[in-house]
Amino acid sequence: MTQAVTLFYAVAVLCYAGAGLALLAFFLWRKSWQSTLGVPLAIAGLVSQALAIAAEALATGWSPTSNLYDSLSLFVAFTVLLYVVFARQYNLWYIGGFVLIVADFFLAYAGTWNEGYRPLVPSLQSYWLAIHVPTVVAAYAAFTLAFCTSVLYLIKFYLERSRSGGAPMSMGLQPAAAGAGNSTAMAMATLVAQRTGNTVQDETPALALAAAQGDTVATWLMGIPTLAKLDVITYRIVAVGLPLLSLGIIMGAMWAKEAWGAYWQWDPKETAALVCWIIYLAYMHLHTRSQWRGERCSWIAVVGFAAVIFCYLGVNIWISGLHSYKV
Amino acid sequence: MATATEQLSSAQALYAEFIDTFGNVLFAVSLLAIWGVMTLIGVVVDQGKSPSAYFNEYPAQVARAVLRLGFDHIYHSYEYVGLIGLILVSLTVCTFKRVIPARLPPLRPVLVDKIPLHAFIETKGSESEVRARLEGFFARTGWQIRRKIFNGVEWTFADKHNWARRGVLVAHLGFAIIAAGTTLYWWKGYSGAMAVLSGQTVRIPQNGDLLTVHSFNYTIKPTQTRGGLIYQPVDYVSDITAVSAGGTSTRNLLRVNHPLEFNGISYYQASYGYGVTFRMTQAGHAVPGVPSTPMFEGDAFPVGPTGRSIQYSQFVGTIDPRARGGIGADPRPFNPGVVVTVLDGDQPLGEEIVPLGRAIDLGGGYRLEPVSYRLYSGIEYRHDPGVPLVGLGALVLVTGVCIAFYFLPARLFVRLDGEGERWTVGLAAQTPKGYTMFEEQFAALVASLQRSEEASVT
Ligand code: HEM
Repeated sequence: MTQAVTLFYAVAVLCYAGAGLALLAFFLWRKSWQSTLGVPLAIAGLVSQALAIAAEALATGWSPTSNLYDSLSLFVAFTVLLYVVFARQYNLWYIGGFVLIVADFFLAYAGTWNEGYRPLVPSLQSYWLAIHVPTVVAAYAAFTLAFCTSVLYLIKFYLERSRSGGAPMSMGLQPAAAGAGNSTAMAMATLVAQRTGNTVQDETPALALAAAQGDTVATWLMGIPTLAKLDVITYRIVAVGLPLLSLGIIMGAMWAKEAWGAYWQWDPKETAALVCWIIYLAYMHLHTRSQWRGERCSWIAVVGFAAVIFCYLGVNIWISGLHSYKV
Repeated sequence: MATATEQLSSAQALYAEFIDTFGNVLFAVSLLAIWGVMTLIGVVVDQGKSPSAYFNEYPAQVARAVLRLGFDHIYHSYEYVGLIGLILVSLTVCTFKRVIPARLPPLRPVLVDKIPLHAFIETKGSESEVRARLEGFFARTGWQIRRKIFNGVEWTFADKHNWARRGVLVAHLGFAIIAAGTTLYWWKGYSGAMAVLSGQTVRIPQNGDLLTVHSFNYTIKPTQTRGGLIYQPVDYVSDITAVSAGGTSTRNLLRVNHPLEFNGISYYQASYGYGVTFRMTQAGHAVPGVPSTPMFEGDAFPVGPTGRSIQYSQFVGTIDPRARGGIGADPRPFNPGVVVTVLDGDQPLGEEIVPLGRAIDLGGGYRLEPVSYRLYSGIEYRHDPGVPLVGLGALVLVTGVCIAFYFLPARLFVRLDGEGERWTVGLAAQTPKGYTMFEEQFAALVASLQRSEEASVT
């Protein structure tokens, strides 16, 4: 069984690497064969990883969530799963390059924490292990995806701004009044919109004009969702992550109550998760203000992801506490 | 002197200022940001350590700053608790000033094509047929319909998930309930930790209950991992009896993750350790001041009148001269000993591993011998009347968050233009979360309406 786990794990690492490269190429060059190769490879990797996790669960007889290797592996599986779900929903396959490379990095890194099987310390011998850990890790996966869409937003935002000579850009369904007089730009924008399903008004006329004049980066930028759409997509992903993180923290508190007597002990891990929760809560609240949507909220999602990584890995590795499972 | 009217109006202005500030989402988010930063400080800076621990860990200036700013106990500082109080005030003001009054736009005629989310659909049939079909379509797709006539023109309004506007209110209420539950613990609750030797009975100071630990046992499983042989603890269990002041009692096995609830208190198996009895002599005579009962890790006693003291720092299960520091990996007491630290006031002078039953020379004729050990069970107890409230608050909070995120209230404005058998349906949509959030659903709705109309007409 151990061999099966190792094999499935290795296949997953390879599939994700291949999928990441193919989808990165798709992101840059938009050749259909690149996605035709990348997407099935990503799904094959996911299936292989699911098999590795299932084989491990069968071999050990408990939920495969007891150490950093297990949880990182689950985190990667959730990240890829969420990517597939959101990519299907919003036609976001090309961000797979970012997502899968990040995911593959974490999966390969997870392998370095694989110490082999060891029995569970008493505090981990609880049904909460199978509920709390996957919930939190699924929230982290959502925030990773939100990080990728935010980075995409910021790339598009700054490249667009450099082409529009620093003029403010439209966000949301604002009529592109400034470009109304420029028929070439509008015609091009309409063409690109038809090709991508984007809403014409969302694009800046400067970008459409640059695309019409043969600026390849601009043409490429027109092919990814509009800023407004990217912003909404990030919001929706965070709207998956934040309730999951809220639930995860609450379940963690319930577990702590059962294991250590107090539902909240200001342990570094639970406190760091609270910091992440506060950041995404701030994101949600600022997103209700139209002037904060877009650029600023995307930066918050980036900061939130940094906090997640600190909470997930930084605290485990550098700061000890109850969550280093002493008892 | 200010007149009563002037005083009143300045109080009113102050009140208005307060409502404006605390009802501002940006102000609330600033509070959240400070909350985040303060919480993060507590993650990075170890909490509740002795001052010397900070001086050991950080440069002197940083350590001084940590202590002066109270970063060593940040979560229980007035600033932290006060900040959460401010957040609650802001949340309340925002909820009553912004969230509750916020509603969908009123039922009134609009310029359909001036609303960014709009569409026009051509259709056929008599006016009453078209209206009936439209209403049937909206009702089937879950919209609540209302009709109104303005200046002789009939408008149809369709609402979806209007109730979900209250999701924010529910989420905020959940947070407030959690805060109330936590406060209830501070007000009425108590907790404590005890190290109870096997065979010992202790009294819970707050309610007078008695707790006896008949025995404590652990199971440690040597396991071969890729990193080498490890000694993994897999079970801790105390055999305990709790007796209430009123005389009722219960006997149970206490394990990690399986607390005992008795007489309003929860008991937990939290840790374990070894109580060690020491003997100290000078010139063959027992030195006074050495406890006759077992000491716990961290306890200290004086070395006669020398100003120095001996601290029992750590129990060593297996002394192994080949291992680093002489401490073997196996925690079980096969070749037991203790690490003792000699202190001069607060300052450690040196450390030594002393095998059990062997005496070491401390100089000045003093000899120290750890004589015997006894297992103790680390038990925590807690009386927390806030738990049901915190649980309820958590449930309410998550429900509210889910409502707020997954049910988007929307209003459709539907107007029919045309005559005879040819009509144009003008459709516009508004939501409290902006237009882009509803863009895809609107497009899907329009496409579906178009298909439905085409099917009805042909
Ligand atoms: C500092 C305290 C807080 C204040 C002043 C505050 C205020 C507000 C306001 C005014 C809104 C509505 C914004 C709008 O639609 O115009 C809102 C939305 C919301 N609040 Fe809070 N809030 C606070 C804390 C919290 C907390 C602790 C939660 C816990 C989960 C929470 C959950 C939500 C949710 C889920 C929304 C809806 C966001 C959306 O629809 O995108 N809030 N808050």
